[in-house]
Order: sequence, then C-alpha cells, then structure tokens
Amino acid sequence: MITAARNYLVFLRRCARIAFVGDWRYYAWMGGLTIVILFGINAYAKQLVDGLIVTGMSDEVSWGVYIANFTFLVGVAAAAVMMVIPVYIYDNEELHDLVIFGELLAVAAILMCLSFVTVDLGRPDRFWHLIPGLGQLNFPRSMLSWDVIVLNGYLLLNVHICGYLLYCRYQDKKPSKWFYIPFVFIAIVWAISIHTVTAFLYVGLGGRPFWNASIVGPRFLASAFTAGPAIIILALQVIRSYTNYRITDKALLTLRGIVQVSMIINVFLLVCEIFKEFYSGTTHGVSAKYLFVGLHGHHALVPWIWTAIGFNLIAMVILVLPVSRSLKYLNVACALCIVGIWIEKGMGLVIPGFIPTPLGAFVEYLPSLNETLVCLGIWAFGLLCYTVFLRMAVPILQGRLAKANEGQPEIQGDEPASVAPVSPATH
Amino acid sequence: MDPLPPLPDGRNRARTGYVLGGLAVLFVALAMLFLSTMREHVKPRKAIPLVDTKFLATTPWRQTYADLVKAKADLSDYDCYGCHEKNKPPTLRFDENQKIIVPQEHVNIVMGHGSHGRNNLCFNCHNDKNLTTLQVRDGREIGFDNIPQLCGTCHGPNYRDWEAGAHGRTSGYWDRSKGDIVRLSCANCHNPHSPRIPTREPAPGPHALRAVEESKPHDAAH
Amino acid sequence: MSSPFSSPDKTSDAAMSRRNFLRGTAALGGLTALAASLSPLLELDDLTSTEKFLQKYYKEMTPDDMSKVIKRISNEVERQYGVRPHVRDLKPMDGVEFVYCLNLTRCIGCRKCVHACVNENNQSRNPEIQYIRVLKMPHGSMDVEKGNHTYDDKHVPDPGYFYMPIQCQQCHNPPCVKVCPVNATWQEKDGITVIDYDWCIGCRYCEAACPYWARRFNWTKPQIPKERLNPNMAYLGNRPRKQGVMEKCHFCIQRTRDGRYPACLEVCPVGARKFGNILDPNSEVSYILREKRVFIQLKEEMGTNPRFFYYFDK
Repeated sequence: MITAARNYLVFLRRCARIAFVGDWRYYAWMGGLTIVILFGINAYAKQLVDGLIVTGMSDEVSWGVYIANFTFLVGVAAAAVMMVIPVYIYDNEELHDLVIFGELLAVAAILMCLSFVTVDLGRPDRFWHLIPGLGQLNFPRSMLSWDVIVLNGYLLLNVHICGYLLYCRYQDKKPSKWFYIPFVFIAIVWAISIHTVTAFLYVGLGGRPFWNASIVGPRFLASAFTAGPAIIILALQVIRSYTNYRITDKALLTLRGIVQVSMIINVFLLVCEIFKEFYSGTTHGVSAKYLFVGLHGHHALVPWIWTAIGFNLIAMVILVLPVSRSLKYLNVACALCIVGIWIEKGMGLVIPGFIPTPLGAFVEYLPSLNETLVCLGIWAFGLLCYTVFLRMAVPILQGRLAKANEGQPEIQGDEPASVAPVSPATH
Repeated sequence: MDPLPPLPDGRNRARTGYVLGGLAVLFVALAMLFLSTMREHVKPRKAIPLVDTKFLATTPWRQTYADLVKAKADLSDYDCYGCHEKNKPPTLRFDENQKIIVPQEHVNIVMGHGSHGRNNLCFNCHNDKNLTTLQVRDGREIGFDNIPQLCGTCHGPNYRDWEAGAHGRTSGYWDRSKGDIVRLSCANCHNPHSPRIPTREPAPGPHALRAVEESKPHDAAH
Repeated sequence: MSSPFSSPDKTSDAAMSRRNFLRGTAALGGLTALAASLSPLLELDDLTSTEKFLQKYYKEMTPDDMSKVIKRISNEVERQYGVRPHVRDLKPMDGVEFVYCLNLTRCIGCRKCVHACVNENNQSRNPEIQYIRVLKMPHGSMDVEKGNHTYDDKHVPDPGYFYMPIQCQQCHNPPCVKVCPVNATWQEKDGITVIDYDWCIGCRYCEAACPYWARRFNWTKPQIPKERLNPNMAYLGNRPRKQGVMEKCHFCIQRTRDGRYPACLEVCPVGARKFGNILDPNSEVSYILREKRVFIQLKEEMGTNPRFFYYFDK
C-alpha cells in the first residue's frame, strides 16, 4: 500500500517536473501563454474590485462573451466523444492511440468552461452556495444546476480515464478493463448530455423566443461535433510536427469524415432555423432579423454572422470535395469551421437572445477591453493546460517516461533528438 | 522530442538561455506595468443628477374647500356673500354662441366641464339660493365637504369605483386592522370647472448603463 | 555570438546549473508578475469577513441568527451612510395574497412611480437601477416592442399614446425562481418573489429568464446619497444591496407587510395603481378583478400567471 502510494507520488512528481522542462520553443510558448494569462488575471482582479461594470454587459444584454465562450467550449469538450466512439464502438485502429489526446482536450476545455463561468459570476466568493449539502443546489429544477453537475462529472470522468490509462502505461501494466471501459461508455453518453444540458440552459427560457426553440439542442450538437474534431485535427498535426509520436494521415482523414458529416448537418439545421424565423414572419423572429439583417438601425452582429455563415459554407464545400484529402486544404477547412462556429455559437447565439429586450428595447453589446483580456487569459490558460497534458502524456505513451527508467537521468527537453529513444507507442 | 533537424547542442542551449532570460525580463516589465496601472479604475461615469423631490411628493394636486376649512386656512377669497347679495340668485350672462360669460371677479375659472358644453351652467352644481353649498339636479343641497355625492349623480360608474377604492388616489393602510386608508375627494384631483387632468412635466427617463439606448424608431412612424 | 550561453559547453554540469539558474529566475519573474497582476485587489474595500462569508441561507437561519445578521447589517449601513436604519425581517401574513392592478386608462406616464420606487427602495442612483419602466405606447397595441422607453416630452400624456408601466409581475409561476441555481430567489406565500441578497451568486440566469425584464443586477457598487437613504428597511426588501447581486421589485415588502400601500401607489397622481389582498373580497383589487370587463396579464402566453393586472376603465 505504502509502496503503491510512493510510486504514485513519484509518478506525479516526475509528471510535474517534465511540465517545467523543455527546449527553447517550449519555454517561449509557455512563457508567452503565461504572459497572456497574467494579463487575464490582472484584468480579472480589476473586475473583482469594480464589478462586472468593467465588461460591456448591461441589464439589457446581461450575458456576453464569457458565456459565449463557455458555450463554445462545452461543445469542444463534448466533441471528445467523436474520437471515443470510433475507437470503442467501431474498433478503429488508427485512432486508438490518439483517443487520449481527445480526452485530454476535453479536460482542458472543461477547465476553460469552468473558468468562464466563474469570471461571469457577480459573487464568485459565494461559489460554495452551489455545493450540495453545504449550499443550496436547486436540482433538478434549475438547468444551471444540471450544468454544474454534468460539467464537473465530465471533468472527473475524463480525468479518471486519462489518468488511469496514463498511469498504467507508465507502469507498463495492462489496464484493467473494469477500471475504465465502463467509464468510457458513461463518458460517451455524458458528453452528449453536457452539450444538451447547455443547450437546454437557453431553450428553457420561454421569455426569449430566439432561444426557446427545439432546434437549438440539435444545432448545438452538430456544431460541436464539427468544431471539436476540427480542433483535434489541428492539434494532432501540431503534436506530430513537434514530437515523433506516430499519427497517421489515415487517422486525420477519419476525423475529416466526422467533420464533413457534422458540418453538413449543421448547415442544414441552420437553414431550417432561418426558414422558420423568416418565412413565418411572426414577431418572434425579431432577434433573428436583428442578427442577420439588422433592425431599426442596429446591426452590430450582421457582419459577424455573415462571416460565420460564409466560413461555414466554404468549409463545407472544401470538406465535401476530394481536395480536403490533402492536409493543406483540410487544415484551411478546419480553421474556417472553428472560427465560423465560434462566432455562430458565441456572438451569434448568446447576444441576439437579449436583443431586443423582453420589453422591446434595442441595446447593443460590445465586449470591453478588460473583458477581452480576461477571455484571452482563459484561452491561454486552456492552451497551457493542454500543452502541459501533452508534455506529460506523449513521453509516457512513448515509454520514455516510465517506471522502468525511474532514477535515470530525466528528460531535459533541449537534448538533441538523437538522444531521445525513438520508440513510438504502437500498442 | 525534436523531429526537426536538431540544432547543434550548444546553440540549442543558448536559445533556451535567451528565451528564459528574456522571459524573466518580460515578467519583470509586466509586473511594473501591472503595478503602475493598479489604481486605474473604470472611466468615471457620467453624473446623473438626483431627481427633483417634487417628483417624489405624495401630496394631492389640489386642495378642496373642505381641506382649507379643515386646515383653518385664510378663507377670505371664498366669502361668497362678501360680494354677492344674500337671497338674490346671481344672473348668468351668455355670449352670442350661448357660451357662459365668466364674470371678471371669477376670471380664474376656466369653464370646461363636459364636452359639447353639456355642463356649463354654474347652478348645475352650485346652489343659487345659497352660494356656500352645492346642489344636485333634483334640488337637494349638498355641502362642500361632500363633493363625491354631487359628482356621483352624473358619474355613476366612477362613483361606484371610487366608493370601492378603485377610482382615485389612496394612501395609508391597505390592512384596515393596522391603520386607516386615506381617501381623496373628487376635487383633490379634478378641478370641478374643468375636470380633465392637465398635462404635466414627466419625471426624467432612464439613464442607460451603456451609451447606446434605443433610437426611438417607433416615434418616427407616428 | 558574444553571449555567455553561446560557448559550446562540454561540461554539462555547468550548463545544467546555469540553465537551472535561468529557469529559477524566469519562475521568480513569473511569480513577481503574478503577484503584481493581483495588485488591484488591494483596492477591495469591502472584504468579506468570515462571518459574512459563512452567512446562512435565509430559510435556514434561526431567529437568533437573523437578529445577529440584522445587527450586522444595521451597523454596516450606519457606518456607510451615517443613518441608523430600522431593519426588520417581515414575514408574510396568513390569509394574504397580494395583487396589483394598474389602470391603463388613467396612467399619464409621469414616471413619478419610477422615482418614488427608487427613493423608497434605496436603489443605486449611479449606475441607475430602476424597478419600473414606463413604456409610451401608440394607441391600439399591447405589443411592448412598439413602446418607447426614453420619451422626453415636455408634457404628458401625449395625445395618441397610452403609457404602460412595467415592473416585476410577481408571477404565480415565476421563471426566475425556477432557474436560480442556488435558490436565492423564491416565492413567498403572500405571492411576493423575494431575493436573499446575501445568497445570490450573481449568475444573472434569472435576468435572462424573466419575460418582463424586471430584474436588475448591481454591475458595480451601488451609489445612494446619504440624504436620500430610506432607513425603514426589510431584510428581503430595501436594505442596501452589494455589488454583484440581483434585485427587483418586491411590492415594497417593508411597507406592505406592515399593512401599508407600496410607494409607487401612493405617489401616483392619478390613482392608476391599486394594490391589496386578493383573498379579501372587500379589497380594491378584488373589486377590480370582479367588476372590470377587460384586464390583462402581460405576455399571458408565457404561462407565468402574473399577480399584476392591467385594466381599462373605458
């Protein structure tokens, strides 16, 4: 028992250590992220003192880019299942060794989600009011209480799955199926649930006709399953170019198939929504009119949404054409997807829900500088987390960071590549 | 860790050194920046003038004759028989349009009770036999302290609402066991000679937190 | 290259220790920058004390807890505004359910109710928090989207328009209560939806959920001039709020649970506002809902079933 605990602590210490060593590019990247994070922390400190007045929000538009980013990132987190499903349900060989990168991305995304929700709170000091037993979690009536549960649950599930598999790999032990397969399947359902619950957060509000539409849930999932795997495609290529971890083009093209289908469904659902809002001509379409064409001289979101739609359409065309088998085009399509969906789901979904107000006033919203810095800080924090996770996971998966080489000289990061044992994991 | 052609060992190390040193410098610079902007607060908000207390007043617009009596106010202006002769009903004069001519002495009275001049005769309400009282159409005499009785003879539904507390101003206690309800009389709000409530200056509108408030698109259409 | 790092170093121990030194310097710099980035927090003047941080949920407080909290609030108010307030925890009365009726035929749009409310309920003057919004509406439509919020006519009423004041509708089925993740807002048995300002976490979900735009957030520290502070306060009512929490109309709990009329009603120069106990058949509101042919619950299709009724005389 004590040995087991000691071994685990050594594992943790070695993982933590490796997060702080690397070559000059690693330091530059991490240092750059840290600087952005520090700007974010500074901006948040100012927000804590002066209140949310330092943002661009108001009683009219009471949620802004914080919640917009939160919504987008829940989708990214949920999209990890799009790698898990092919591997664990369809036994896809190519993705098998890569699935953990998807799960780690989910962990990083959830950490960002939780940060975005926290910075949006007026009284973060009262977070404990949400803890059942200590506080008063309004479960199951409030969809936000559902969100608290599913997000934290998803975080724990993924931390467990990744942590367990990595630790087994570190010890060179075969993972016991009972310890992770059930959790993997729970996580698949759970992933769908986190994004559905997040959609229901909006759908459940009868006073906001723009959100109070049953198509919002399906659209959330479709867009998440487009943007998430697109991010994973780009992330895998970054991993491939900075490490010698084996990532095949075939694996990337499997993910392309997922992005392709999801994007087509996403665009189809968008068409459904636009048709309903505009053809019927009911007064409930006011927010959509404001979003797509502007209303009463207010049209702050119009360029955004058409950029998003343009990006999505171009991405869809590239994805359905055979050219996207070439990574160059695939990457362009992925980048367009990510940006397009970020706009569509953030600025395009959260903000117009508030415009006009339930009393018909048009007050527009623009994020303030302080608010933007906080957002950038959280994004940098997420990237930093993901980088650290990869920095730990890749050598473990390659067998370079293992129990076997405990006590031997540790990886430094800027040693020449030839020194590193080339043993890509191909189990 | 490096699939790219490795740089010579020393140069790689040198770069690490540069990056780390550069970061340390940057961090210190950042710390200075944060400290120097520490007290930089949000832009001072535009001042909003405090609302004039006249908009907070709950006092009625008008005082009735009965209120003046109760308040023991100077009633010399209301001494009818200081000018009029007792037992001699004043005569009414009309112009060519059959509109009543308000005499010089009562120039402050604007006749405007009822549209189409339906109620423009002083003695529809005033008692011509006793100017210190009022009268109903059937000749019943009504005191100045009992105005609703008079008004109610024509304005039945409003009188009914008023009696139920649904018309007119109230204040005090809704819970009668805790205190009294304060009711106002018709003439506390309505000038009996021209009862339509005059237009008034509205209190200031809202000051939006963010500058972009509604550009009043709806007014343009009307 | 003249840098000390550039010389090819065969003795890797020296290189190692130099690099460790540099790593340490960078880390130290990072920590310094982190500490400096937090420096604005020194400006936090309203530091949460342990007592405040651990304050219990309203419904879980014993009378003893409550009297302690009320004492603390009174001291805070006195320190900040120089006025000793009279803070009470007024409970709903048995056999009382409040209803508000507003006569749209009478309302002249003078906005006196808006400001009387601000004054009574110690709302922030800058940034401005107002519970009542008066809409200037063209004759013939109840569509709030046709309303003008910022009319500044020299005189009201303006011919061709009617005026519709909107405030918390005290719904039977309040969406704001449903969505609150921490039960910081709830409906009391007299029908008033209240907020525990010391429990609210400021997520603003209720503000998004309200179909009447009745909820307001304290985007920064509220500003109340000392000379206008109303010292008659209730815990769930008009005691001064803190930065970062929600507030809204509560039918002037500090008055109405004491048997009095709300401030907006008393100030209305035309008697357009009527308030009372719907369970009492002799109340004004019972009379109105019995006798008036048309009365309207705003946005009836939302299923919120408001306790606030708009009606017409003619």
